[in-house]
Amino acid sequence: MTTPLLSVSGLRASYGPVQVLFDVDFQVAKGSVTTLIGANGAGKTTIMKSLAGLVAPTDGEIRFEGRDITQVPSHDRVNSGLCLIPEGRLVFPGMSVEQNLRLGAIAPAARAGHNQMLAEVFDRFPRLRERRSQLAGLMSGGEQQMLALGRGLMARPHLILMDEPTLGLAPVMVKQVFETIVELRDAGFTILLAEQNAKVALELADRAYLLENGRVALSGPGAELLASPDVRRAYLGM
Amino acid sequence: MKNIGLILGVALAVVAAAVPAFGTPYMMGVVFQVAMWIALAQSWSMLSATTGYLSLGHAVFYGVGAYVCVLLTGTIPFEWALLAGAVAAAVFAAIVGLPVLRVRGPYFVILTYGLSELVRHVVMRIESALGSFGRMIFDVPRTEVLMWWMVGLAVLATLGAYAIRHSRFGAGLAAIREDEVAAETVGVPVTRLKLFAFIASAIIPGAVGGLALLRTSYFEPAQAFDPVISFTIVTMALVGGTETVRGPILGALGFALLSELLWSSLPQLYMIVLGLTLIIFILFVPRGLSGLFGRLGRAG
Repeated sequence: MTTPLLSVSGLRASYGPVQVLFDVDFQVAKGSVTTLIGANGAGKTTIMKSLAGLVAPTDGEIRFEGRDITQVPSHDRVNSGLCLIPEGRLVFPGMSVEQNLRLGAIAPAARAGHNQMLAEVFDRFPRLRERRSQLAGLMSGGEQQMLALGRGLMARPHLILMDEPTLGLAPVMVKQVFETIVELRDAGFTILLAEQNAKVALELADRAYLLENGRVALSGPGAELLASPDVRRAYLGM
Repeated sequence: MKNIGLILGVALAVVAAAVPAFGTPYMMGVVFQVAMWIALAQSWSMLSATTGYLSLGHAVFYGVGAYVCVLLTGTIPFEWALLAGAVAAAVFAAIVGLPVLRVRGPYFVILTYGLSELVRHVVMRIESALGSFGRMIFDVPRTEVLMWWMVGLAVLATLGAYAIRHSRFGAGLAAIREDEVAAETVGVPVTRLKLFAFIASAIIPGAVGGLALLRTSYFEPAQAFDPVISFTIVTMALVGGTETVRGPILGALGFALLSELLWSSLPQLYMIVLGLTLIIFILFVPRGLSGLFGRLGRAG
């Protein structure tokens, strides 16, 4: 078996006295879409932030491309190819679309050839090219999600962490986001997706982990979890 | 339009060069003052305009520079004393930077103010424990020499602010101002960049403090760390506009000249007019003189 691109073991995290992650283990294989599903407060965002280095875990180990990155500062993680598209998108509102995208390539590893990368992002999201001089804060939620994703791609990530990319989007945009995820996987990107929209996430995921109260309650191929009676009852309303 | 800050800086240097030819000591004093405020406001903008971390304590760097300079003058040439003042301010910023920059928004504003006041009182205590109630300096350089040094610092600060804004470093600082968490997710080394900006904004004020000391030839802690210095820097930068390099120049120029006019004609109205100006600008001209001129330029 090949070593996974990302491997998390025994991850624990707390906010003050409140522990929110309890010995979380999971792996992400190269070229796959892996999804973390679970209710609000299950710990999805905390896991994503721990991976990006925005939350310091109290225990456990994060290995990325064979290297222990648990103590590595967040900007060095981006530089080594681990890129978070944060929940709520967090575009730079007072900057233009193009400035946002260029900032995505601020990591030293992404600087060379960032103009070409910009062209690639514009090709993937023509809407961003049309609006390149528009202020990011004035765009719709769906456009901002596209921008956040494009900004992430500018860093040339080996692994894209997407935290709730469909949160607060109109149904037509939700569909488009999921289509984009499939396109990115087909283009060779590896994606870890935290998602409340369990049904769609499970349908497209190669592998899925169900989180409950900060623990992995169930894991397996996406299709398997989709068929599980427990998942169907609790998360799919069937 | 992009280079107008530089153009103004050079123009100021030329004006200053012309002044001694026909100028009186009074005129040289005015140029000294204007250049001093440009240097201070421009340095302040390296941190506060770029990152949005508004420092209300920049007098502390000015004071540290003045204090180090007064301790050293007489023992070494004044040029080296000024350099030592700048280095001391930078070292001080490097030491206090990390804890201070952990807080944001109004907390940062209050903390920088408090820090400046703390240092002021500590220095006052040290001086009174030493039995010193102000130190006189003898043998100071001529006004013309001091003016030249100050103009040099103003130009240097302007070039520095320009270079920062147009660099990758400046792009990272702008990302921090827009959204610090997002900046971190795109790979901006947030803590490091904030610290660098903090140090960069302290260096020139350290030297300015030393020069101002030589000009008055008298050191007194309450005066060297006077919080009004901090307030004035912020006021000038806001009135000038924080979005461009020319902003702090316009603000410092406008304010320093206005204060000269008011001092001579309507001294009792001086502070009232300055206060009103600040209120009017905050309410009606949020982008400052720079934004105002930019708009007029486009309309015309």
